[in-house]
Amino acid sequence: MLRKEQNDLLTQTGPGTPMGQMFRLGWQPALLAEELPEPECPPVRIKLLSERLLAWRDTQGRYALTDEFCAHRGVSLWFGRNEHNGLRCPYHGWKYDHTGQCIEVPSEPSESGYCQKVKLKSYPLVERGGVLWTYMGPPEQQPPLPEWEFAMVPADRSFMSKRLQESNWLQAMEGGIDSSHVSFLHSGELNSDPLFKGSKGNQYNMGDMKPVFEVVESPGGLFIGARRNAENGSYYWRVTQWVMPAFTMIPPRADHPVHGHFWVPIDDETCWAWSFDYKVTRPLKEYELEAMRAGKGIHVPYVPGTYRPLQNKDNDYLMDRAAQKRGDTFSGVYGIAMQDASLQESMGPIVDRTKENLVSTDNGIIMARHRLLRALKAMEKGTMPPGIDLAHQRVRSAAVVLPPDQHFKEAAKEALLVQTGKEHVTV
Amino acid sequence: MSSAAEARYRIDAPNSAPRAIKVIALDPRSERVVKNLAQGRWNRATFFTASAFGSAPKQGESFSGWLSDLAGRTKNLIEEIDSADLVVMVATAGENAQAASLIGEACSLKRVMTTGLIMGSTDVSDETLSKTLAQLRPWALMLVIASAEEYIQDMLTALRA
Repeated sequence: MLRKEQNDLLTQTGPGTPMGQMFRLGWQPALLAEELPEPECPPVRIKLLSERLLAWRDTQGRYALTDEFCAHRGVSLWFGRNEHNGLRCPYHGWKYDHTGQCIEVPSEPSESGYCQKVKLKSYPLVERGGVLWTYMGPPEQQPPLPEWEFAMVPADRSFMSKRLQESNWLQAMEGGIDSSHVSFLHSGELNSDPLFKGSKGNQYNMGDMKPVFEVVESPGGLFIGARRNAENGSYYWRVTQWVMPAFTMIPPRADHPVHGHFWVPIDDETCWAWSFDYKVTRPLKEYELEAMRAGKGIHVPYVPGTYRPLQNKDNDYLMDRAAQKRGDTFSGVYGIAMQDASLQESMGPIVDRTKENLVSTDNGIIMARHRLLRALKAMEKGTMPPGIDLAHQRVRSAAVVLPPDQHFKEAAKEALLVQTGKEHVTV
Repeated sequence: MSSAAEARYRIDAPNSAPRAIKVIALDPRSERVVKNLAQGRWNRATFFTASAFGSAPKQGESFSGWLSDLAGRTKNLIEEIDSADLVVMVATAGENAQAASLIGEACSLKRVMTTGLIMGSTDVSDETLSKTLAQLRPWALMLVIASAEEYIQDMLTALRA
Protein backbone atom coordinates (compact mmCIF):
# COMPACT_ATOMS: atom_id res chain seq x y z
CA MET A 1 0.00 0.00 0.00
CA LEU A 2 0.91 3.63 -0.36
CA ARG A 3 -0.32 6.51 1.72
CA LYS A 4 -2.67 8.82 -0.15
CA GLU A 5 -0.13 11.63 -0.34
CA GLN A 6 2.47 9.23 -1.78
CA ASN A 7 -0.04 7.95 -4.32
CA ASP A 8 -0.87 11.51 -5.32
CA LEU A 9 2.80 12.36 -5.61
CA LEU A 10 3.54 9.49 -7.97
CA THR A 11 0.41 9.71 -10.09
CA GLN A 12 0.15 13.46 -10.72
CA THR A 13 2.26 14.61 -13.64
CA GLY A 14 0.81 17.96 -14.67
CA PRO A 15 2.84 21.18 -14.80
CA GLY A 16 4.38 22.06 -11.45
CA THR A 17 4.11 18.58 -9.96
CA PRO A 18 7.28 16.75 -8.82
CA MET A 19 6.52 13.63 -10.85
CA GLY A 20 5.68 15.83 -13.83
CA GLN A 21 9.05 17.46 -13.42
CA MET A 22 10.76 14.08 -13.50
CA PHE A 23 9.09 13.24 -16.81
CA ARG A 24 9.89 16.70 -18.14
CA LEU A 25 13.62 16.30 -17.47
CA GLY A 26 13.89 13.53 -20.05
CA TRP A 27 12.94 13.00 -23.70
CA GLN A 28 9.51 11.40 -24.03
CA PRO A 29 7.92 9.72 -27.04
CA ALA A 30 5.24 12.13 -28.26
CA LEU A 31 3.99 10.84 -31.61
CA LEU A 32 4.75 8.22 -34.19
CA ALA A 33 6.61 9.70 -37.14
CA GLU A 34 3.83 8.32 -39.36
CA GLU A 35 1.42 10.81 -37.77
CA LEU A 36 3.23 13.72 -39.43
CA PRO A 37 4.25 12.10 -42.69
CA GLU A 38 5.11 15.12 -44.86
CA PRO A 39 5.53 18.91 -44.97
CA GLU A 40 2.27 20.84 -44.47
CA CYS A 41 0.42 17.68 -43.48
CA PRO A 42 -2.60 18.09 -41.19
CA PRO A 43 -1.63 19.03 -37.64
CA VAL A 44 -2.23 16.57 -34.80
CA ARG A 45 -3.72 17.45 -31.40
CA ILE A 46 -1.96 15.73 -28.57
CA LYS A 47 -2.01 16.01 -24.83
CA LEU A 48 1.12 15.15 -22.86
CA LEU A 49 1.71 15.51 -19.13
CA SER A 50 -1.63 17.35 -18.92
CA GLU A 51 -0.64 19.97 -21.52
CA ARG A 52 -2.65 20.35 -24.73
CA LEU A 53 -0.33 20.66 -27.67
CA LEU A 54 -0.39 20.75 -31.43
CA ALA A 55 2.15 18.81 -33.49
CA TRP A 56 2.72 19.87 -37.07
CA ARG A 57 5.28 20.19 -39.88
CA ASP A 58 5.89 23.38 -41.78
CA THR A 59 6.52 23.81 -45.51
CA GLN A 60 10.18 22.88 -45.08
CA GLY A 61 9.24 19.73 -43.18
CA ARG A 62 10.41 21.08 -39.82
CA TYR A 63 8.64 19.54 -36.85
CA ALA A 64 6.73 21.77 -34.44
CA LEU A 65 5.16 21.07 -31.08
CA THR A 66 3.36 24.15 -29.84
CA ASP A 67 0.58 25.26 -27.53
CA GLU A 68 -2.66 24.12 -29.17
CA PHE A 69 -4.41 27.44 -28.77
CA CYS A 70 -4.06 30.76 -30.56
CA ALA A 71 -2.76 33.51 -28.30
CA HIS A 72 -5.44 35.88 -29.60
CA ARG A 73 -8.83 34.43 -28.61
CA GLY A 74 -7.91 30.89 -27.64
CA VAL A 75 -9.05 29.12 -30.79
CA SER A 76 -7.64 25.65 -31.35
CA LEU A 77 -4.99 25.93 -34.02
CA TRP A 78 -5.89 22.42 -35.13
CA PHE A 79 -8.31 24.30 -37.40
CA GLY A 80 -5.39 26.33 -38.73
CA ARG A 81 -4.12 26.61 -42.27
CA ASN A 82 -0.69 25.04 -42.63
CA GLU A 83 0.84 27.29 -45.27
CA HIS A 84 4.08 29.04 -46.25
CA ASN A 85 6.21 28.01 -43.28
CA GLY A 86 3.64 28.68 -40.66
CA LEU A 87 0.31 27.79 -39.15
CA ARG A 88 -2.37 30.43 -39.56
CA CYS A 89 -5.34 30.72 -37.25
CA PRO A 90 -8.45 30.67 -39.42
CA TYR A 91 -10.32 33.06 -37.10
CA HIS A 92 -8.37 36.32 -37.57
CA GLY A 93 -5.32 35.19 -39.48
CA TRP A 94 -2.65 35.23 -36.81
CA LYS A 95 0.25 33.12 -38.02
CA TYR A 96 2.93 31.19 -36.09
CA ASP A 97 6.21 29.58 -37.14
CA HIS A 98 7.51 26.16 -36.02
CA THR A 99 8.99 27.61 -32.82
CA GLY A 100 5.63 29.10 -31.81
CA GLN A 101 6.75 32.62 -32.66
CA CYS A 102 3.91 34.73 -34.02
CA ILE A 103 4.99 36.06 -37.40
CA GLU A 104 1.83 37.83 -38.57
CA VAL A 105 -1.03 39.71 -36.91
CA PRO A 106 -2.93 40.95 -39.94
CA SER A 107 -5.00 43.50 -38.01
CA GLU A 108 -1.87 45.31 -36.79
CA PRO A 109 0.49 47.35 -38.96
CA SER A 110 3.46 45.14 -39.69
CA GLU A 111 5.73 48.07 -38.82
CA SER A 112 4.41 47.98 -35.26
CA GLY A 113 6.28 44.73 -34.62
CA TYR A 114 3.41 43.61 -32.43
CA CYS A 115 3.64 40.01 -33.60
CA GLN A 116 7.14 39.72 -32.17
CA LYS A 117 5.63 40.16 -28.74
CA VAL A 118 3.50 37.05 -29.14
CA LYS A 119 4.98 33.58 -28.80
CA LEU A 120 3.30 30.29 -28.05
CA LYS A 121 4.93 27.85 -25.68
CA SER A 122 6.73 25.27 -27.79
CA TYR A 123 8.88 22.22 -27.25
CA PRO A 124 11.49 20.53 -29.44
CA LEU A 125 10.21 17.63 -31.54
CA VAL A 126 12.82 15.32 -33.04
CA GLU A 127 12.50 12.12 -35.06
CA ARG A 128 14.51 9.08 -34.00
CA GLY A 129 13.69 5.45 -34.69
CA GLY A 130 10.26 6.20 -36.16
CA VAL A 131 9.24 8.12 -33.05
CA LEU A 132 8.91 11.86 -32.54
CA TRP A 133 10.47 12.69 -29.19
CA THR A 134 9.92 15.79 -27.17
CA TYR A 135 11.61 17.42 -24.23
CA MET A 136 9.30 19.53 -22.05
CA GLY A 137 11.74 20.62 -19.36
CA PRO A 138 13.83 23.75 -18.86
CA PRO A 139 15.77 24.45 -22.11
CA GLU A 140 19.04 24.89 -20.23
CA GLN A 141 18.75 21.34 -18.86
CA GLN A 142 17.91 19.64 -22.17
CA PRO A 143 19.77 16.30 -22.25
CA PRO A 144 21.26 14.65 -25.37
CA LEU A 145 18.80 12.81 -27.60
CA PRO A 146 17.70 9.42 -26.27
CA GLU A 147 19.71 6.35 -27.25
CA TRP A 148 17.36 3.48 -26.49
CA GLU A 149 18.61 0.59 -28.58
CA PHE A 150 15.34 0.02 -30.45
CA ALA A 151 15.55 3.59 -31.75
CA MET A 152 19.16 3.25 -32.88
CA VAL A 153 18.90 0.15 -35.10
CA PRO A 154 18.14 0.50 -38.84
CA ALA A 155 14.48 1.22 -39.56
CA ASP A 156 13.74 -2.24 -40.99
CA ARG A 157 14.72 -3.89 -37.69
CA SER A 158 12.32 -2.05 -35.47
CA PHE A 159 8.54 -1.65 -35.13
CA MET A 160 6.73 0.76 -32.84
CA SER A 161 3.06 1.19 -32.04
CA LYS A 162 1.14 3.13 -29.45
CA ARG A 163 -2.24 2.67 -27.86
CA LEU A 164 -4.42 4.71 -25.61
CA GLN A 165 -4.64 3.32 -22.09
CA GLU A 166 -7.45 4.68 -19.97
CA SER A 167 -5.61 4.62 -16.67
CA ASN A 168 -2.91 6.53 -14.88
CA TRP A 169 0.62 5.87 -16.12
CA LEU A 170 1.79 4.26 -12.86
CA GLN A 171 -0.64 1.35 -12.79
CA ALA A 172 0.19 0.67 -16.44
CA MET A 173 3.93 0.79 -15.76
CA GLU A 174 3.58 -1.40 -12.69
CA GLY A 175 2.03 -4.05 -14.93
CA GLY A 176 5.21 -3.92 -17.00
CA ILE A 177 7.36 -4.98 -14.04
CA ASP A 178 4.90 -7.40 -12.47
CA SER A 179 6.53 -10.59 -13.69
CA SER A 180 4.42 -12.89 -11.55
CA HIS A 181 1.22 -12.40 -13.58
CA VAL A 182 2.61 -13.81 -16.84
CA SER A 183 2.14 -17.49 -16.03
CA PHE A 184 -1.54 -16.81 -15.30
CA LEU A 185 -2.91 -13.97 -17.36
CA HIS A 186 -0.91 -14.61 -20.52
CA SER A 187 -0.67 -18.39 -20.28
CA GLY A 188 -2.88 -18.89 -23.34
CA GLU A 189 -0.79 -16.63 -25.55
CA LEU A 190 2.61 -18.10 -24.69
CA ASN A 191 1.82 -21.07 -26.87
CA SER A 192 -0.30 -19.43 -29.54
CA ASP A 193 0.85 -15.89 -30.23
CA PRO A 194 3.14 -15.84 -33.30
CA LEU A 195 5.49 -13.41 -31.55
CA PHE A 196 5.79 -15.52 -28.39
CA LYS A 197 5.29 -19.19 -29.20
CA GLY A 198 7.90 -21.87 -29.76
CA SER A 199 10.51 -20.80 -27.25
CA LYS A 200 12.24 -23.21 -24.92
CA GLY A 201 11.77 -20.55 -22.27
CA ASN A 202 8.00 -20.94 -22.56
CA GLN A 203 8.35 -24.55 -21.43
CA TYR A 204 10.19 -23.38 -18.34
CA ASN A 205 7.55 -20.71 -17.84
CA MET A 206 4.71 -23.19 -17.92
CA GLY A 207 6.62 -25.93 -16.15
CA ASP A 208 7.19 -23.90 -13.03
CA MET A 209 4.22 -21.77 -12.03
CA LYS A 210 5.89 -20.55 -8.84
CA PRO A 211 8.80 -18.43 -9.92
CA VAL A 212 11.16 -17.02 -7.36
CA PHE A 213 12.08 -13.37 -7.74
CA GLU A 214 15.17 -11.33 -7.19
CA VAL A 215 14.93 -7.57 -7.33
CA VAL A 216 18.18 -5.70 -7.77
CA GLU A 217 18.73 -1.97 -8.13
CA SER A 218 20.43 -0.90 -11.34
CA PRO A 219 21.95 2.51 -12.11
CA GLY A 220 18.86 3.53 -14.07
CA GLY A 221 16.17 1.67 -12.17
CA LEU A 222 15.78 -2.03 -11.52
CA PHE A 223 16.57 -5.49 -12.72
CA ILE A 224 13.71 -7.82 -11.90
CA GLY A 225 14.83 -11.41 -12.17
CA ALA A 226 12.29 -14.22 -12.23
CA ARG A 227 13.82 -17.62 -11.61
CA ARG A 228 12.31 -20.92 -12.62
CA ASN A 229 13.66 -24.42 -12.48
CA ALA A 230 15.44 -25.71 -15.57
CA GLU A 231 17.28 -28.99 -16.19
CA ASN A 232 19.84 -30.57 -13.86
CA GLY A 233 19.36 -28.13 -11.04
CA SER A 234 20.07 -25.07 -13.14
CA TYR A 235 17.79 -22.03 -13.18
CA TYR A 236 16.01 -20.30 -16.04
CA TRP A 237 16.18 -16.56 -15.42
CA ARG A 238 14.07 -13.90 -17.08
CA VAL A 239 15.43 -10.47 -16.32
CA THR A 240 13.16 -7.49 -16.94
CA GLN A 241 14.59 -3.98 -17.15
CA TRP A 242 12.91 -0.95 -15.67
CA VAL A 243 14.52 2.41 -16.34
CA MET A 244 13.06 5.38 -14.55
CA PRO A 245 10.51 6.62 -14.81
CA ALA A 246 8.58 4.74 -17.47
CA PHE A 247 10.65 2.38 -19.63
CA THR A 248 10.25 -1.38 -19.31
CA MET A 249 11.78 -4.13 -21.41
CA ILE A 250 10.45 -7.68 -21.46
CA PRO A 251 12.93 -10.56 -21.54
CA PRO A 252 13.32 -12.16 -24.98
CA ARG A 253 11.98 -15.48 -26.14
CA ALA A 254 13.99 -17.57 -28.63
CA ASP A 255 14.67 -15.61 -31.84
CA HIS A 256 11.51 -13.53 -31.56
CA PRO A 257 11.90 -9.75 -31.67
CA VAL A 258 12.51 -8.22 -28.26
CA HIS A 259 9.82 -5.97 -26.93
CA GLY A 260 9.12 -3.37 -24.35
CA HIS A 261 7.21 -0.25 -23.48
CA PHE A 262 7.14 3.36 -22.46
CA TRP A 263 4.21 4.45 -20.30
CA VAL A 264 3.79 8.14 -20.91
CA PRO A 265 1.13 10.22 -19.13
CA ILE A 266 -1.39 11.98 -21.31
CA ASP A 267 -3.00 13.36 -18.19
CA ASP A 268 -3.50 11.84 -14.75
CA GLU A 269 -6.22 9.47 -15.94
CA THR A 270 -4.88 8.28 -19.29
CA CYS A 271 -1.53 7.39 -20.76
CA TRP A 272 0.07 6.24 -23.98
CA ALA A 273 1.32 2.70 -23.92
CA TRP A 274 4.17 2.76 -26.43
CA SER A 275 5.15 -0.72 -27.59
CA PHE A 276 8.35 -1.51 -29.47
CA ASP A 277 9.73 -4.66 -31.05
CA TYR A 278 13.19 -4.96 -32.56
CA LYS A 279 16.05 -7.17 -33.62
CA VAL A 280 19.66 -6.05 -33.63
CA THR A 281 21.23 -8.07 -36.45
CA ARG A 282 18.43 -8.76 -38.90
CA PRO A 283 15.44 -7.03 -40.46
CA LEU A 284 12.08 -7.98 -39.02
CA LYS A 285 10.52 -10.77 -41.06
CA GLU A 286 7.40 -10.13 -43.08
CA TYR A 287 5.32 -12.50 -40.95
CA GLU A 288 6.52 -10.72 -37.82
CA LEU A 289 5.60 -7.31 -39.19
CA GLU A 290 2.22 -8.64 -40.35
CA ALA A 291 1.56 -9.99 -36.87
CA MET A 292 2.54 -6.70 -35.25
CA ARG A 293 0.36 -4.67 -37.61
CA ALA A 294 -2.50 -7.09 -36.91
CA GLY A 295 -2.17 -6.41 -33.19
CA LYS A 296 -0.42 -9.59 -32.09
CA GLY A 297 2.26 -9.79 -29.42
CA ILE A 298 2.22 -6.64 -27.35
CA HIS A 299 0.42 -4.62 -30.04
CA VAL A 300 -3.32 -4.17 -30.54
CA PRO A 301 -5.86 -3.76 -33.31
CA TYR A 302 -7.36 -0.27 -33.29
CA VAL A 303 -10.70 1.42 -33.66
CA PRO A 304 -10.20 2.52 -37.29
CA GLY A 305 -8.64 5.95 -37.65
CA THR A 306 -7.54 6.11 -34.00
CA TYR A 307 -4.97 4.70 -31.59
CA ARG A 308 -7.72 3.50 -29.28
CA PRO A 309 -7.75 -0.28 -28.96
CA LEU A 310 -10.61 -2.04 -30.72
CA GLN A 311 -11.21 -3.91 -27.47
CA ASN A 312 -11.92 -1.22 -24.94
CA LYS A 313 -13.99 -0.53 -21.85
CA ASP A 314 -17.02 0.49 -23.92
CA ASN A 315 -17.36 -3.04 -25.30
CA ASP A 316 -16.03 -4.86 -22.20
CA TYR A 317 -12.89 -5.63 -24.18
CA LEU A 318 -14.92 -8.16 -26.25
CA MET A 319 -14.80 -10.52 -23.29
CA ASP A 320 -15.33 -14.12 -24.42
CA ARG A 321 -16.60 -16.18 -21.48
CA ALA A 322 -16.59 -19.40 -23.51
CA ALA A 323 -12.92 -18.93 -24.37
CA GLN A 324 -12.23 -18.24 -20.71
CA LYS A 325 -13.96 -21.47 -19.74
CA ARG A 326 -12.19 -23.46 -22.44
CA GLY A 327 -8.85 -22.02 -21.33
CA ASP A 328 -8.03 -20.43 -24.70
CA THR A 329 -7.37 -17.29 -22.72
CA PHE A 330 -7.05 -17.16 -18.97
CA SER A 331 -9.11 -13.99 -18.55
CA GLY A 332 -11.44 -14.25 -21.53
CA VAL A 333 -9.86 -11.21 -23.16
CA TYR A 334 -7.79 -11.81 -26.28
CA GLY A 335 -4.32 -10.41 -26.82
CA ILE A 336 -1.49 -9.84 -24.39
CA ALA A 337 -1.71 -6.05 -24.39
CA MET A 338 -5.45 -5.93 -23.79
CA GLN A 339 -5.33 -8.65 -21.16
CA ASP A 340 -3.12 -6.28 -19.21
CA ALA A 341 -4.93 -3.07 -20.11
CA SER A 342 -8.40 -4.42 -19.38
CA LEU A 343 -7.44 -5.32 -15.83
CA GLN A 344 -5.43 -2.16 -15.21
CA GLU A 345 -8.27 0.02 -16.49
CA SER A 346 -10.73 -1.92 -14.35
CA MET A 347 -8.93 -0.59 -11.25
CA GLY A 348 -10.26 2.88 -12.08
CA PRO A 349 -8.34 5.76 -13.65
CA ILE A 350 -6.12 6.20 -10.59
CA VAL A 351 -6.14 3.14 -8.39
CA ASP A 352 -6.51 3.79 -4.67
CA ARG A 353 -3.31 2.24 -3.38
CA THR A 354 -4.34 2.76 0.23
CA LYS A 355 -6.69 -0.21 -0.25
CA GLU A 356 -4.30 -2.68 -1.84
CA ASN A 357 -2.79 -5.72 -0.13
CA LEU A 358 0.62 -6.33 -1.60
CA VAL A 359 2.44 -9.58 -1.00
CA SER A 360 6.05 -10.54 -1.01
CA THR A 361 6.16 -11.21 -4.76
CA ASP A 362 5.21 -7.59 -5.34
CA ASN A 363 8.64 -6.41 -4.22
CA GLY A 364 9.48 -5.27 -7.76
CA ILE A 365 6.58 -2.85 -7.59
CA ILE A 366 7.41 -1.83 -4.02
CA MET A 367 11.02 -1.16 -4.96
CA ALA A 368 10.04 0.82 -8.07
CA ARG A 369 7.84 3.11 -5.99
CA HIS A 370 10.59 3.39 -3.38
CA ARG A 371 13.10 4.42 -6.03
CA LEU A 372 10.72 6.94 -7.59
CA LEU A 373 10.04 8.51 -4.21
CA ARG A 374 13.75 8.59 -3.42
CA ALA A 375 14.54 10.18 -6.76
CA LEU A 376 11.85 12.82 -6.21
CA LYS A 377 13.41 13.68 -2.87
CA ALA A 378 16.86 13.90 -4.46
CA MET A 379 15.47 16.08 -7.25
CA GLU A 380 14.46 18.64 -4.65
CA LYS A 381 18.17 18.99 -3.89
CA GLY A 382 19.07 19.35 -7.55
CA THR A 383 20.04 15.74 -8.34
CA MET A 384 19.05 14.60 -11.82
CA PRO A 385 16.81 11.52 -11.72
CA PRO A 386 18.06 8.20 -13.11
CA GLY A 387 17.14 7.36 -16.69
CA ILE A 388 18.37 10.54 -18.33
CA ASP A 389 22.02 9.53 -18.45
CA LEU A 390 22.55 7.81 -21.81
CA ALA A 391 24.38 4.97 -20.06
CA HIS A 392 21.14 4.14 -18.25
CA GLN A 393 19.41 3.78 -21.61
CA ARG A 394 21.92 1.36 -23.11
CA VAL A 395 20.41 -1.67 -21.42
CA ARG A 396 18.79 -4.93 -22.40
CA SER A 397 16.55 -7.54 -20.92
CA ALA A 398 17.80 -11.11 -21.00
CA ALA A 399 16.73 -14.74 -20.68
CA VAL A 400 19.46 -17.08 -19.50
CA VAL A 401 19.98 -20.49 -17.93
CA LEU A 402 22.53 -20.34 -15.12
CA PRO A 403 23.99 -22.70 -12.56
CA PRO A 404 22.24 -22.36 -9.19
CA ASP A 405 25.13 -20.62 -7.45
CA GLN A 406 25.41 -17.76 -9.94
CA HIS A 407 23.80 -14.39 -9.51
CA PHE A 408 22.26 -13.07 -12.72
CA LYS A 409 23.56 -9.57 -12.14
CA GLU A 410 27.10 -10.85 -12.27
CA ALA A 411 26.77 -13.85 -14.57
CA ALA A 412 24.63 -11.99 -17.10
CA LYS A 413 26.35 -8.63 -16.70
CA GLU A 414 27.16 -8.27 -20.41
CA ALA A 415 23.78 -9.61 -21.47
CA LEU A 416 22.07 -6.78 -19.60
CA LEU A 417 23.91 -4.07 -21.56
CA VAL A 418 23.74 -3.11 -25.21
CA GLN A 419 26.30 -5.14 -27.16
CA THR A 420 26.78 -3.51 -30.54
CA GLY A 421 26.16 -5.94 -33.38
CA LYS A 422 25.12 -8.79 -31.09
CA GLU A 423 21.64 -10.11 -30.43
CA HIS A 424 20.04 -10.33 -27.01
CA VAL A 425 20.94 -13.34 -24.89
CA THR A 426 17.85 -15.50 -25.05
CA VAL A 427 16.45 -18.98 -24.50
CA MET B 1 -15.50 1.45 -12.08
CA SER B 2 -13.41 2.55 -15.02
CA SER B 3 -14.38 6.20 -14.70
CA ALA B 4 -13.26 8.49 -11.90
CA ALA B 5 -16.90 9.04 -10.98
CA GLU B 6 -17.54 5.31 -10.67
CA ALA B 7 -14.32 4.72 -8.74
CA ARG B 8 -15.76 6.84 -5.93
CA TYR B 9 -18.30 4.09 -5.26
CA ARG B 10 -15.70 1.47 -4.38
CA ILE B 11 -16.71 0.16 -0.97
CA ASP B 12 -14.74 1.86 1.73
CA ALA B 13 -14.34 -0.93 4.25
CA PRO B 14 -11.30 -2.87 5.49
CA ASN B 15 -10.57 -5.72 3.11
CA SER B 16 -7.88 -7.56 5.02
CA ALA B 17 -6.62 -8.35 8.49
CA PRO B 18 -3.05 -7.45 9.40
CA ARG B 19 -0.56 -10.18 8.70
CA ALA B 20 1.96 -11.38 11.23
CA ILE B 21 5.35 -10.49 9.82
CA LYS B 22 8.50 -11.60 11.60
CA VAL B 23 11.63 -9.67 10.74
CA ILE B 24 14.87 -11.44 11.60
CA ALA B 25 18.34 -9.90 11.45
CA LEU B 26 20.97 -12.40 10.38
CA ASP B 27 24.12 -10.51 11.35
CA PRO B 28 25.20 -7.75 13.75
CA ARG B 29 24.98 -4.93 11.18
CA SER B 30 21.50 -5.98 10.18
CA GLU B 31 20.59 -6.19 13.83
CA ARG B 32 21.31 -2.48 14.23
CA VAL B 33 19.01 -1.72 11.30
CA VAL B 34 16.28 -3.96 12.65
CA LYS B 35 16.56 -2.40 16.09
CA ASN B 36 15.99 1.05 14.59
CA LEU B 37 13.10 -0.28 12.62
CA ALA B 38 11.54 -1.78 15.71
CA GLN B 39 11.17 1.71 17.20
CA GLY B 40 8.42 2.49 14.65
CA ARG B 41 4.73 1.72 14.95
CA TRP B 42 3.69 -1.47 13.27
CA ASN B 43 0.50 -3.46 13.06
CA ARG B 44 1.72 -7.00 13.55
CA ALA B 45 5.40 -6.88 12.77
CA THR B 46 7.79 -8.28 15.36
CA PHE B 47 11.55 -8.13 15.28
CA PHE B 48 14.21 -10.68 16.13
CA THR B 49 17.84 -11.45 15.72
CA ALA B 50 19.70 -14.61 14.90
CA SER B 51 22.98 -12.80 14.62
CA ALA B 52 24.51 -14.29 17.72
CA PHE B 53 24.18 -17.76 16.30
CA GLY B 54 26.79 -18.38 13.69
CA SER B 55 25.80 -21.92 12.87
CA ALA B 56 22.77 -24.11 12.95
CA PRO B 57 22.10 -26.38 15.92
CA LYS B 58 23.76 -29.73 15.63
CA GLN B 59 21.70 -32.83 15.36
CA GLY B 60 19.79 -33.44 18.54
CA GLU B 61 20.24 -29.87 19.79
CA SER B 62 17.16 -27.77 20.41
CA PHE B 63 16.03 -24.86 18.27
CA SER B 64 14.66 -23.19 21.35
CA GLY B 65 17.68 -21.10 22.23
CA TRP B 66 18.49 -20.16 18.72
CA LEU B 67 16.47 -17.04 18.13
CA SER B 68 16.18 -14.00 20.38
CA ASP B 69 14.11 -10.89 20.45
CA LEU B 70 15.81 -7.52 20.42
CA ALA B 71 15.91 -7.37 24.20
CA GLY B 72 17.94 -10.56 24.20
CA ARG B 73 15.18 -12.88 25.36
CA THR B 74 15.42 -16.34 23.90
CA LYS B 75 12.64 -17.32 21.52
CA ASN B 76 11.64 -20.63 20.07
CA LEU B 77 12.21 -20.48 16.35
CA ILE B 78 9.58 -23.02 15.39
CA GLU B 79 6.93 -21.41 17.55
CA GLU B 80 7.64 -17.98 16.13
CA ILE B 81 7.54 -19.21 12.58
CA ASP B 82 4.42 -21.18 13.21
CA SER B 83 2.61 -17.97 14.05
CA ALA B 84 4.00 -15.98 11.10
CA ASP B 85 2.40 -15.15 7.74
CA LEU B 86 5.68 -13.90 6.34
CA VAL B 87 9.27 -14.07 7.51
CA VAL B 88 11.68 -11.37 6.36
CA MET B 89 15.36 -12.19 6.74
CA VAL B 90 17.64 -9.17 6.74
CA ALA B 91 21.28 -9.67 5.82
CA THR B 92 24.25 -7.43 5.13
CA ALA B 93 26.22 -8.08 1.97
CA GLY B 94 29.52 -9.67 2.90
CA GLU B 95 28.41 -10.83 6.34
CA ASN B 96 27.66 -14.35 7.36
CA ALA B 97 24.05 -15.23 6.53
CA GLN B 98 24.32 -18.87 7.48
CA ALA B 99 21.33 -18.56 9.80
CA ALA B 100 19.16 -18.26 6.71
CA SER B 101 19.31 -21.98 6.12
CA LEU B 102 17.83 -22.87 9.49
CA ILE B 103 15.13 -20.20 9.33
CA GLY B 104 14.37 -21.10 5.75
CA GLU B 105 14.10 -24.76 6.56
CA ALA B 106 11.72 -24.03 9.40
CA CYS B 107 9.62 -21.82 7.10
CA SER B 108 9.60 -24.51 4.49
CA LEU B 109 8.42 -27.00 7.07
CA LYS B 110 5.65 -24.70 8.24
CA ARG B 111 4.79 -23.47 4.71
CA VAL B 112 5.53 -19.86 5.56
CA MET B 113 6.52 -17.38 2.84
CA THR B 114 10.05 -15.99 3.10
CA THR B 115 11.64 -12.81 1.83
CA GLY B 116 15.36 -12.13 1.94
CA LEU B 117 16.63 -8.59 2.00
CA ILE B 118 20.29 -7.84 1.44
CA MET B 119 21.59 -4.41 2.30
CA GLY B 120 24.90 -2.72 1.77
CA SER B 121 25.38 -4.17 -1.70
CA THR B 122 27.13 -1.04 -2.95
CA ASP B 123 29.89 -1.41 -0.36
CA VAL B 124 31.10 -4.81 -1.52
CA SER B 125 32.27 -6.52 -4.69
CA ASP B 126 29.90 -8.57 -6.83
CA GLU B 127 31.79 -11.65 -5.74
CA THR B 128 31.22 -10.92 -2.06
CA LEU B 129 27.58 -10.13 -2.73
CA SER B 130 27.24 -13.44 -4.55
CA LYS B 131 28.40 -15.30 -1.47
CA THR B 132 25.71 -13.72 0.68
CA LEU B 133 23.18 -14.34 -2.04
CA ALA B 134 24.17 -17.97 -2.26
CA GLN B 135 23.41 -18.36 1.45
CA LEU B 136 19.98 -16.78 1.14
CA ARG B 137 18.84 -17.88 -2.30
CA PRO B 138 17.78 -21.44 -1.46
CA TRP B 139 15.64 -20.18 1.40
CA ALA B 140 14.07 -16.95 0.17
CA LEU B 141 11.12 -17.04 -2.18
CA MET B 142 11.72 -13.36 -2.86
CA LEU B 143 15.14 -11.75 -2.68
CA VAL B 144 15.75 -8.03 -2.75
CA ILE B 145 19.10 -6.33 -2.93
CA ALA B 146 18.66 -2.79 -1.72
CA SER B 147 21.14 0.06 -1.60
CA ALA B 148 19.24 2.12 0.97
CA GLU B 149 18.37 0.95 4.46
CA GLU B 150 15.09 2.85 4.26
CA TYR B 151 13.89 0.28 1.79
CA ILE B 152 13.03 -2.20 4.49
CA GLN B 153 10.77 0.33 6.18
CA ASP B 154 9.06 1.13 2.87
CA MET B 155 8.66 -2.56 2.15
CA LEU B 156 7.12 -3.34 5.52
CA THR B 157 4.78 -0.36 5.20
CA ALA B 158 3.77 -1.50 1.72
CA LEU B 159 3.01 -4.94 3.14
CA ARG B 160 0.93 -3.39 5.93
CA ALA B 161 3.28 -4.88 8.51
